[in-house]
Amino acid sequence: MSNYDYDVIVLGSGPGGYVAAIRAAQLGLKTAIIERENLGGICLNWGCIPTKALIHNAEVVETFHDAKTYGISFDNLTVDFGAAVKRSREVVGRQTKGVGFLMKKNKIEVIEGHGVFLDDHTLKVTPSEINEEAETRTVSAANIIVAVGARARSLPGTEIDHDRIIEYRDAVVLGELPEKMIVVGSGAIGMEFSYVYSSYGTEITVIEMLDQVLPLEDSEVASEVAKSFKKRGISLRTSTRTEKVELTDGGVEVTVKDLNSDKTETLSADKVLMAIGIRPNTDKAGLEATSINVNERGFINVDEVMRTNVPHIYAIGDCTGKLALAHVASAMAIVAAETIAGAETLPIPDERYQFMPRCTYCYPQVASLGMTEAQAKEAGYEINVGKFPFMPNGKAQALNERVGFVKIIADAKYGEILGAHLVGPDVTELLPELSLAQFMEITPAEIARNVHAHPTLSEVLMEAAHAVEGHPIHM
Amino acid sequence: MATPVMMPQMGESVIEGTVARWLKAPGDSVEKLEPLLEISTDKIDTEVPAPAGGTLLTILAQEGVTVAAGSVLAYIGAEGEEAPVAPEPEEADAPSPPGDEAPLEEAGASRAEAQAKPAGRTFISPVVARMAAEHAVNLDRIQGSGLGGRITKKDVQAFLNGQPDEPPAPSRSAPSQPRQRTPLTGDTVIEPLTTMRRAIADHMVLSKRTSPHVTTVMEADMTAVVRHREANRSALAQRGIALTYSAYFVAAAAAALRAVPIVNSSFREEGIARHTRINIGVAAAIPAGLIVPVLRDADELSLPGIARTLEELVARARSGRLQPDELQNGTFTITNHGIGGSLLGTPIINQPQSAILGVGAIVKRPIVVSESASLLPSADDAIVIRPMCYLSLTIDHRVLDGAAADEFLSVVKKTLEGWS
Repeated sequence: MSNYDYDVIVLGSGPGGYVAAIRAAQLGLKTAIIERENLGGICLNWGCIPTKALIHNAEVVETFHDAKTYGISFDNLTVDFGAAVKRSREVVGRQTKGVGFLMKKNKIEVIEGHGVFLDDHTLKVTPSEINEEAETRTVSAANIIVAVGARARSLPGTEIDHDRIIEYRDAVVLGELPEKMIVVGSGAIGMEFSYVYSSYGTEITVIEMLDQVLPLEDSEVASEVAKSFKKRGISLRTSTRTEKVELTDGGVEVTVKDLNSDKTETLSADKVLMAIGIRPNTDKAGLEATSINVNERGFINVDEVMRTNVPHIYAIGDCTGKLALAHVASAMAIVAAETIAGAETLPIPDERYQFMPRCTYCYPQVASLGMTEAQAKEAGYEINVGKFPFMPNGKAQALNERVGFVKIIADAKYGEILGAHLVGPDVTELLPELSLAQFMEITPAEIARNVHAHPTLSEVLMEAAHAVEGHPIHM
Repeated sequence: MATPVMMPQMGESVIEGTVARWLKAPGDSVEKLEPLLEISTDKIDTEVPAPAGGTLLTILAQEGVTVAAGSVLAYIGAEGEEAPVAPEPEEADAPSPPGDEAPLEEAGASRAEAQAKPAGRTFISPVVARMAAEHAVNLDRIQGSGLGGRITKKDVQAFLNGQPDEPPAPSRSAPSQPRQRTPLTGDTVIEPLTTMRRAIADHMVLSKRTSPHVTTVMEADMTAVVRHREANRSALAQRGIALTYSAYFVAAAAAALRAVPIVNSSFREEGIARHTRINIGVAAAIPAGLIVPVLRDADELSLPGIARTLEELVARARSGRLQPDELQNGTFTITNHGIGGSLLGTPIINQPQSAILGVGAIVKRPIVVSESASLLPSADDAIVIRPMCYLSLTIDHRVLDGAAADEFLSVVKKTLEGWS
């Protein structure tokens, strides 16, 4: 039908790329996917999945620490971090096999190796650092979906040596537990690793330049998490800038400056984890051979159907700089594939990204969407805020959970949910109800009137919705 | 059985009315057709007669409340009878649950609007329902951008932004409330839209969006009409009839509608609705804006009959005492913009009609008359002074083509020029 080898080539097989390939194949397109490392990308191999396995291990450890509460006692509790890492790798193995199976099932050709653009339709695949066996070949497609992802960014002048100055990829497979670790950056990655390592006994100091941890979250949520972190002995240094990171004999020294007092201090640790953000992998895809525009930070600009400035080239996920989350990449992937196939789709306009779910899996968990209370006010909305704690909830009590709350921010005029901010037990599993409500433009009035099963944690959502309407029951 | 008192539908584009005053209190006995309450709409203020005799059991819509046409306002029944539990009247600015806004929509959707409506109703979210209620938006007019055509808040916002000005909710301009000017920074103040201004704005935008407008122009030598009017004016005045030029234009239009009946029609998705009766609306300026009373069966009226009816209608329009049915069922409209000195206009069609006649000022102009058939200068040519008038016909090009328009306009012209 065309002069190209494939209808679609997807470059990169993370949660964006592999989903795009499946959807394209489902819609009858001849599809190939190029991966230089392992199927599943960062999410499956180095990010979401292995960290969640480690976090669950940490939670189990915490429960053991708390064993007396449950009337369990034992002598000589020992925890083996190496075993936790090993379990997480097993989980990864099963998940990536699953992706391989899905590729086969959908008759998607998996091309191993590092794909680089030769021109707007052609890619050259060569052996990569990870996969030296890969065959060198040239492939072409009528449409190309760029899903090359991103990697950890470091501070200017500080090189990640993967030994003492590490990134998430190292932290997820650390051979031995550091005694002291400094975490630079308090976003989801920084906070999740801080939680895991502190549970296993590492002394953690978190350095955050902005005035709260989890700087993108609502300030009340951030302070709830901060309170809990401080209780477990994690040192949180907000409004603090990391000036210098230096290797010393056997360790590392970090010079920080308190932005309020202007005082400089040097902290020492075994390791420093850089968790200050990402940079796109667009520099490794040979984009200069195409006419694709990237912005000054290297991200690829796309429209609401993920099209780049080159009509047959699409980009999805972290390399677009929209919202670097796996589920966002998957959503973008579906729109891109459907657009290429000419199938019905639902474009994602820029303002939708703000309402996509955001989760941090430390303890207490954080889940949110939409505007923070401050942002809603700044945007000029007159708002109703409903907040309800987990403390009075029967199920939370039964689970021995006392921390956290659900906060819903609604437009006073039409009831539209402008923001939802959850902190507490398993809140990442509670967010979808509010996410669906926001998407379907359901208001707290309907959420409050929708009967929630008792006893469940979800009753707290219902109570928060009642609170927006001004009449929570169990308060 | 108690009888409900409903908010009447006042004209095709009127979707709601405000309770101005109750003339009876609960417990009062009323006779059938006795005035029960006064209502105010964007078109007229009028009394609503009791639909049945008995006792006024309960009032559901208090004074100052704006409700959708068709809403129950009160119940009349036997003394001591219990009023049925009725749904609260649908307040025009109150949130209404999805699926419950049928009266509002049906009333608001003219034939032309109906075509934009997707087959079947999709889910209306609570947020959209609240917005639609507050702004009295007919959701059938909005194309949804959500999955399966669902109308989202953004779509309603875009629709509202696309209107000439974001209007305040109609209920806020209830007649009893003093209007306030909101000062802006600088030299501009915002005067809240009156219900009528809002209705005119909506209707004009709707019409322009609905119909491809085309205007064709002819001029008529009004000598015969002027002569006839001079000859008959005082005699009719003695009978209490003011013989206006408008009456001649109505008569000429009625004749032309009979001669070219396709002009007397409306475009509908299922086909062209050809109206068998000729009901001509005549636009009248009133202090609050514009109103179009309708002369029913204008083709059956004599010239004095047209003049008399027209005079009465306009007088009642200006005093706000038109009956609801005097605004309904027009099939064609005339606007005599010449009254203000305007020579030529391109009026906007009064939906769902398919044409409107614009009449310019009658002015003396030099024109060339000739016995010669040739367009070349001829010894038979003469320049004479005649009372001339431009006639413009704006048509809905979906229904009418230029040929029909010109044929119609030619009949108007000939009727006027050959008046006897």
